[in-house]
Amino acid sequence: MARKHFKLSKLTLFISLFLFGCILFLLPQTATSKLNFAFIDIFGYFLNMGSSATYYHAPQSASPDFVSRQDYNRLQTAYANLQEELSEQKRQLEKLSNVRLTEPDPSTGLVLAKVVNRKENEFIINRGSGDGLKAGQYVLGDNAVIGLVEQVSADISIVRLITSSACKIPVKISATDVNTYFNGTMQGNDKKEAVILNIPQKYKLKAGINVYASPKAGLLQSSRIVGRISKCAPGERNPVVWDITVEPAYEFNDITDVAVIVLKMPGQL
Amino acid sequence: MKWLRFAFLITAGAVIQSSALMNVVSVTDMHIKPDLLLILLVYFAINCDSYDVIIASFAIGFAADITGTLIGPHIISYGIVGTSLAYIRKVILLKHTRQQSLTIFATGILTYLIAIVLVKLKVPSATGELFRAFAVSIYSAILWFLIRWPVITTGKWIGVGAHRFGKKPEEL
Repeated sequence: MARKHFKLSKLTLFISLFLFGCILFLLPQTATSKLNFAFIDIFGYFLNMGSSATYYHAPQSASPDFVSRQDYNRLQTAYANLQEELSEQKRQLEKLSNVRLTEPDPSTGLVLAKVVNRKENEFIINRGSGDGLKAGQYVLGDNAVIGLVEQVSADISIVRLITSSACKIPVKISATDVNTYFNGTMQGNDKKEAVILNIPQKYKLKAGINVYASPKAGLLQSSRIVGRISKCAPGERNPVVWDITVEPAYEFNDITDVAVIVLKMPGQL
Repeated sequence: MKWLRFAFLITAGAVIQSSALMNVVSVTDMHIKPDLLLILLVYFAINCDSYDVIIASFAIGFAADITGTLIGPHIISYGIVGTSLAYIRKVILLKHTRQQSLTIFATGILTYLIAIVLVKLKVPSATGELFRAFAVSIYSAILWFLIRWPVITTGKWIGVGAHRFGKKPEEL
């Protein structure tokens, strides 16, 4: 006797799979992101394969008078951060002339991580909630702020880069000629830059000025460089304000290691 | 259709799609890359029988979602568009490479549009990159001319495409 083969009709099959898709779609992202992280966990090696072959690295010059562009950028960023810290210290010293400041702050912790995968305006790093990472924490690449932690699993996390339109961070622009700062909010433009809108034109700003991430309680204790102004043009909608374009301090493709700022609470010290 | 081989192919496609290797073929400052899963969707939709296309479309959509950060939008969009394509090809054979390339472009636009709308519904702050969808669809359509033969060969290994034009008219 022939065995009867059970087969769903096309319509039933389509509706079943469609409903399955809808259920997955309606589930909270925190639950479904485990699948994404599992995929990265399993195929992490293959996903990162070829990353060193992708980008051209110029050969090192034999002359001791020259450094590579990457080294130059790293030194320049360190210099900008030190300069910023120095001016901040000076200001505080003026206020509290007799109080001795301690640097670096003992409550600041850095969790070093490797970039295991790169996507459009985001990095996947090999550290997660088990290492103290939480959404919203600042991520540094060679001392410059490159993005914010967006999602975390137990052992990997997604970092949203500053060039993503989904990444908004409070920044301050240092205008050294008038010895002051202008505050604003920086948002990525989904290309290779970020923009700061609505800075009043009474402030004289120009390309090349450094942009710093503003300190944020519980997340960032002192200002850190994020990039430099690459274009400063009158606002498209409102000509009395500046529309500022910021280029990141680093070429993200060159970054292979990052550090996440994990501030420890007083009880954890 | 040999489903185990199909699962292997889709997994490999998803891994290659999201791997750093794809940066080698990315173009412009926006890093536009072709969508291999989109190409596979159209290939299976054209060459399998409609029952298999329904399963394959949702499976490819799931693979597309798993390489991203949000599960759901691509399963729905790939499932709907792939299944529709399986019925459309009963009217238009889509036998020529140029027609297939054009189909990849149109399918890409439609699939991405649905996915963008669904992503917006779930994450209102997400940005719908329409230009990127357009560029990826064009790039994938152009790439079809180059990778057509490897895909067809792999398709035969999976057990599709052999009877589509001529041998099994009842499938059409």
